Amino acid sequence: MSKQIQFHSVSEMPDISVSRGHMDWNKTGTWRTQRPFYEDKTPPCNVACPAGNDIVAFVQKISQGHFEGAWNLIKEENPFPGICGRVCFHPCETQCNRGSYDESIAIHALERYAADFASQLPKKTGKISPQSQEKIAIIGSGPAGMSCAYHLAKLHYNVTVFESSPLTGGMLRMGIPSYRLPKDVLDREMSDIEALGVEIHTGVPVGQGIKIEKLKDYQAIFIATGAHRSRILNIPGEKSRSVLSGLDLLRRINLDGKVKIGERVAVIGGGNTAIDVARSIIRLGKKATILYRRSKEEMPAFEEEMLEALEEGVKIRYLVAPLRIQQRENLKRLECLRMALGEKDESGRRKPVPIPNSNFFINADSLVVAAGEEIETSFLPRGIGKKEGILLTRDGGRTALEGIFAGGDLTSNQRTVAHAIGSGKKVAMAIDCYLKGNDSEEAIRRILVGNGPSLSIFRYLHPGERFRNPHVVNFEELNMDYFEPAKRERESKGRLKERIKRFTEVTSTLTENAASREAERCFSCGTCNECENCYIFCPDASILKKGEKISQQVDYDFCKGCGICFVECPRRAISLEEEAR
Amino acid sequence: MKKVITGNQAVAYGVILSRVDVISAYPITPQTTIVEELSELVASGRMRTKFLKVESEHSAMAALIGASTGGVRCFTATSSHGLAYMHEMLHWASGARLPIVMVNVNRAVGPPWNIWSDQSDSLSQRDTGWIQLYCENNQEVLDTILQAFRIAETAKLPVMVVLDAFVLSHTSEAVQIPTMEEVDQFLPPYLLEYTIDTQEPMAFSVITTPEYFFEFRYKIQKAMEQVPEIAKKVDDEFRSRFGRGYGAIETYGKEGAEVLLMTSGTVTSTSRIVIQKLVREGYSVAGIKVKRFRPFPSEEIYEAIRGARKLAVIDRNLSAGVGGIFAQELRASLYSREERPQVYGFVSGLGGRDITPDLIEEAIQYTVEHSRPEEEILWLGLKK
Repeated sequence: MSKQIQFHSVSEMPDISVSRGHMDWNKTGTWRTQRPFYEDKTPPCNVACPAGNDIVAFVQKISQGHFEGAWNLIKEENPFPGICGRVCFHPCETQCNRGSYDESIAIHALERYAADFASQLPKKTGKISPQSQEKIAIIGSGPAGMSCAYHLAKLHYNVTVFESSPLTGGMLRMGIPSYRLPKDVLDREMSDIEALGVEIHTGVPVGQGIKIEKLKDYQAIFIATGAHRSRILNIPGEKSRSVLSGLDLLRRINLDGKVKIGERVAVIGGGNTAIDVARSIIRLGKKATILYRRSKEEMPAFEEEMLEALEEGVKIRYLVAPLRIQQRENLKRLECLRMALGEKDESGRRKPVPIPNSNFFINADSLVVAAGEEIETSFLPRGIGKKEGILLTRDGGRTALEGIFAGGDLTSNQRTVAHAIGSGKKVAMAIDCYLKGNDSEEAIRRILVGNGPSLSIFRYLHPGERFRNPHVVNFEELNMDYFEPAKRERESKGRLKERIKRFTEVTSTLTENAASREAERCFSCGTCNECENCYIFCPDASILKKGEKISQQVDYDFCKGCGICFVECPRRAISLEEEAR
Repeated sequence: MKKVITGNQAVAYGVILSRVDVISAYPITPQTTIVEELSELVASGRMRTKFLKVESEHSAMAALIGASTGGVRCFTATSSHGLAYMHEMLHWASGARLPIVMVNVNRAVGPPWNIWSDQSDSLSQRDTGWIQLYCENNQEVLDTILQAFRIAETAKLPVMVVLDAFVLSHTSEAVQIPTMEEVDQFLPPYLLEYTIDTQEPMAFSVITTPEYFFEFRYKIQKAMEQVPEIAKKVDDEFRSRFGRGYGAIETYGKEGAEVLLMTSGTVTSTSRIVIQKLVREGYSVAGIKVKRFRPFPSEEIYEAIRGARKLAVIDRNLSAGVGGIFAQELRASLYSREERPQVYGFVSGLGGRDITPDLIEEAIQYTVEHSRPEEEILWLGLKK
């Protein structure tokens, strides 16, 4: 107890009772029946990211003005922020809690901002020297293959990538038009991986010349050759040379910058490839009509891209199925059948049902089939294991063959860039476990984001650091008293007239101010951002500071466990548990 | 500069001229226009004051207790239920010896619901250790605010300045407004002995055992006993600077009158007319206006009533079970005196009912005609 002054007369006493002493003797913490503690939890965006980006952390960096720091955080998990910021379908934004309040955070735009900011900085990434004798071969330089190569290089392995095409990138280069993903962005992020010391052999079609089984110098092989074969319609006339596949058309435009095609083009299909094809045709100065056998609601293409396509003059005809293709000189006649929607199928979408005797004809100068992609299996080693159009893998990417792994579009029907990046990363860890004789299934279980399936290689490399409870914070757990409505920032788009003339990028990167504003909108669900509400509200001054910042430590000598910090934390970064005594 | 302004505007002028640092208030009829006026002045940047929006009167006073402990000049205003809600904090402000100034616009306390004037709100806070000053007109309102800060900061006790709902708060009168320079000379900045210093942390109003608590209360009483002298000095200086003064009480009418009428607030201005008329008609009657209710001006009143035989008191308040509170205090202050005139306790005008010249004359006539009151409480203007 502090020293008390004894007064013997009222005249000696001050007017009010003050104490310069302290209350150290009175440890009110002993009254506590519940205990608050800082514990970061998992935000829904992080869980939703197939590439395993630590979204809340990098958005927080942007809001603090640390743009390069944001880029570094993304690069921990994903070598392609510039690419993902442009072409990812951002499932993170669909799950964003802010969407339940006003509008979700434009996460893709922030990722792109961080990448474009970093692209202006002098290059820092140097070669990483391999520290192990094992060599790893990766077949395919798409997002899965290169993501795997990136993480394996960072794990100090000798990595060699074989690419059949003359240029790296796989579907990123062949399948995505430049107006969505400029080639310089792709080249930059590809060359960053090469700069780590990854050996890349382009123009080497492994499987045709060299058999995969013959790659004996490599202790592990990762097959990530993607799904490049256009699905066929199985209708008469389709085999005609003048019927193009969607992927072929995109590949030619992407590699040669041009393609021979007629004036009126019919595109068959309803996926993103069909949209990319149609919009590319518009940019070649031709007319494009998409024919899709179901209705708008069932269309697998991303809505925003579909809207942009319509803006640019692409026509879409729904509930139309082609029956046969007839050719008369240069003119193609497509016999079609009108469809109606029936019961839901296994994909949950309503199934198209032909309307009898509804046949009609569509005339076109060119026809493009973009009805989905399949994997090429002819080059694969025997006994690798396939089922329903994909390769079978287990334990993070192992095939039935010793030392051979597979991933990306080859092993999944969720064929997105982000899924491929996540898959490549998972395989990198699985290969590391395999070569070290560790249990990859167990390793992956420990590094799941939330309860998965996304995973974090940062946690694999730094166990225990930046811990997050797997509990996913939902909207009801946030304290909305501390947020105000704020408009979502939008990336500006090029003028329509200019847009349709060339393949330059449609959207622009956010400005610094817009990116900062957008990052500040983030609720930072489950992650302490040092807002200091706890410090302000604690009636017992038991939130400790370290210098100017809160230390995320509670002074349990005096914390009475009132729970105010827990309630007033806007983002559920504080937990409350019963005191164990 | 002379302006025609309402009582509530007079309050606002007083606050601006006093260079108040922190205002924390919650609106309530009939005080609301004070807060509106001040918040607009602060928002427009014309007043360099921190205006705290709070969710209740309890918080308004709590916030000022914190601010005042920090050594800055603080003001708030309230009325009726708002004042009642503040009750706990009123004790805290006086116990912590903080020179906070508050305006209370007298309004009846419900139920039944009522927004008009009587004194039951402020008088039910009489034991909270606050100095209470009642005003008769808008000029006095402004002047009393300026004096209140001087008194509060000298005595280290909070001051409540009281004015009648609507009769003053919403009624315009010509008011002389002093200049900032004049007020600055009258009301300099002040320093607290114990204040918040982040370099030297202290706990304020810490738990105090029975060993010392008693002495702190004794000190508050001693401070209250200093107030008549402090207030007189302040009023004298005010008079010399501005040409206006009020005293703790004021007498008017016939000198050495046999019958005296004691009033407070705006009833006094009506009484002045009635007494003037009766004196002209030959009555030996005079009036006493009581401005300061706490500390009760026993000495001043005793000096003023010497020679009088009868004292009529009009109370615009009621302590149920006893009667009018001014009359009660007056009786108590006279008990130990040699001269103890008969006290006639009238209760009138509750819930804002007008106390008309006729009613006041009726009270005086009753007092003149009766050698002693027939009842402890004389109901004036009651529908019998």
